[in-house]
Amino acid sequence: MDVALERQLREDETLMEKNMLVTNLDKLLNWARGHSFWPVTLGLACCAIEMMATGGPRYDISRFGWEVFRASPRQADVMIVAGTCTRKMAPLLRRIYDQMPEPKWVIAMGSCANAGGPFVDSYSMLAGVDKVVPVDVYIPGCPPRPESLLYGLLQLQYKVSNPAKVRLMKHGK
Amino acid sequence: MENKVLKEQVEKLAALVSGEVEEILGELVLKVRAPHIIETLTGAKNFPNFPCDFLHDLCGLDLVDHLEVVYQLSSLRGPQRLRVKAIVERENPVIDSVTSLWQGANFLEREAFDMFGINFKGHPNLKRIYMWDDFEGYPLRKDYVTEPIEVRNIVRTRIEGE
Amino acid sequence: MTIENTEELILNMGPQHPSMHGLFRMVVNLEGETVTKIEPKLGYLHRGMEKLAESRTYAQFIPYTDRLDYLASPHNNWAYVQTVEKLMGVEIPERAEYLRVIFGELARIASHQVCIASTALDMAGWSAWSYAFRDRERICDMYEMTAGSRLTVNIMRIGGIIEPPAEFWPALKSFLNDTPEMIEEYNGIFFGNEIAQGRLKSVGILSKELAENLSITGPVLRASGVNYDVRKAEPYSIYDRFDFNVPVRYGCDSYDRTIIRLDEIVESIKIIKQAVRDIPEGPVMAKVPKVIKPPVGEVYHRVENPKGELGFYIVSDGTTKPARVRIRPATFINLQMLPIVCLGWKIQDVVAIFATLDAVLGEVDK
Repeated sequence: MDVALERQLREDETLMEKNMLVTNLDKLLNWARGHSFWPVTLGLACCAIEMMATGGPRYDISRFGWEVFRASPRQADVMIVAGTCTRKMAPLLRRIYDQMPEPKWVIAMGSCANAGGPFVDSYSMLAGVDKVVPVDVYIPGCPPRPESLLYGLLQLQYKVSNPAKVRLMKHGK
Repeated sequence: MENKVLKEQVEKLAALVSGEVEEILGELVLKVRAPHIIETLTGAKNFPNFPCDFLHDLCGLDLVDHLEVVYQLSSLRGPQRLRVKAIVERENPVIDSVTSLWQGANFLEREAFDMFGINFKGHPNLKRIYMWDDFEGYPLRKDYVTEPIEVRNIVRTRIEGE
Repeated sequence: MTIENTEELILNMGPQHPSMHGLFRMVVNLEGETVTKIEPKLGYLHRGMEKLAESRTYAQFIPYTDRLDYLASPHNNWAYVQTVEKLMGVEIPERAEYLRVIFGELARIASHQVCIASTALDMAGWSAWSYAFRDRERICDMYEMTAGSRLTVNIMRIGGIIEPPAEFWPALKSFLNDTPEMIEEYNGIFFGNEIAQGRLKSVGILSKELAENLSITGPVLRASGVNYDVRKAEPYSIYDRFDFNVPVRYGCDSYDRTIIRLDEIVESIKIIKQAVRDIPEGPVMAKVPKVIKPPVGEVYHRVENPKGELGFYIVSDGTTKPARVRIRPATFINLQMLPIVCLGWKIQDVVAIFATLDAVLGEVDK
């Protein structure tokens, strides 16, 4: 990835603004994926209640097209790790991640999933879920508000729809 | 008034099982040695007029030189409350299970076994309840040292069937 | 006609399962669809709170209690700070007691709403779920005005409570005005529903004797016909000043275990109305030393949590940190009924029976 490619991408976007659709299949797929996540219901602890509230009537996650919470990991493509992941749970979390079909993304919701949170010095805690699965978006808070979760999902949507841009941003360009 | 009657009965019971009675913050505490525990609790359960027949809580306690098992008794039919403490050796912590008196002691005894390593003789299913089966050590004992974070971050292997 | 040569099937439910309310796992042995044995497996959320308490000061442990039963966090705060106050012999101001009752009962309503919602969800009743969550948001708003947080409020201090802002009172009033309609709606959409009644009525009988023997407390015990509530039997705080009933049901089945929570919401609203009427002006914090150092001693104190009796047993050695904090989780002990009561029922009834227990795994696993 280089600057020339980035320029190319920007030009493509200006074309899109003029209602001209010059795309390839990959981009279309990424756009579609980013706008219809199917999260797996992995409610581990307190954050699960905020995840449910996000799906509830007031915050209404279906405004964004992500309301299809799936109980089976085989039908989902986003794993929202909502809550504390203990050492006993860690291998099972990895197993659920392995059962999800590609492409898949992980959101670490809440302080415990990010880095262990208030329980980090306990004998039974894993300091962050990124020791087990690769995490795309970290959402801080104990627990994060539903707005935070929606913002995190929007960030993930940006990442999924614009893989090239995100890769460039990562290298400071 | 009621407390007085209960105290008399507890003292009578204490003499029977060679225990000590104290009063801490308005609550009666009966301290016995581990071998007498079944006898004590059966006695407490069948007090005339004031039966302490509801097992409220059961927990372990580490007092460095010995361990204790604490039983909180009360009743659904009266205000009586009694705390029974059984002294258990630290090296060889064995005590009789009270699951024959209260089925509700099942999980609580498993928890005390998990956290303190106290062996409950006669328990139907004495296994670790919170930690996984091959976890080493008894975390709530005072001499348990929490593993450093590098060791804790190594993910354990999944047991088949989980 | 009998079917011969059926094989026993072992089914693993959880830890990640839509009806398990968190990380609860059970191994179910099935004969066809009939349950022959259940073995609950816990500890997937065990965070070692009791050990953490030994390395925290008394005040530092208050936020951890929020995360026990996270659906009713003010209640857990309350149980803990009351235990410490009992140990130190602190008297707290009148206004603080009333505010504690108001927040405690609001928490009870919120918790029971989630219980009704999740029971409905386990029977695939999405609309009842969204009605209960809509109303719960208003309680979350009131928490947020006062504490800044929606779920884990950390609202109480040793010796008092936070003073809610001025806009709290109109919000509370409008919520209380809307409650009769709210209860009517739950009755219509869930409890009056024929499918819900069919799935819950006379399912999972827990007899009175068994409940007492299993040390079961709270609404589950009261649905089995035992009139026992700590608020009446051993009134803590200022519960002896309020006029309320303890709802008791005699059906012993899943339906009664669920609908008793609706009865409790009605009683909680009564208590809040009386508290709002009688609340005096004054300070909300007692004079408590900056460094909390209770005398040597031990105390056991219990309160009526929405899910059962929550007890704290604190042993103090005279330093700033507790020597031992024992939490008596209500649902952990209530869960023991599951392997006994579910025997002989079908697999879908296990889901219903588990839902009516209203287990919160944060409290079960500590």
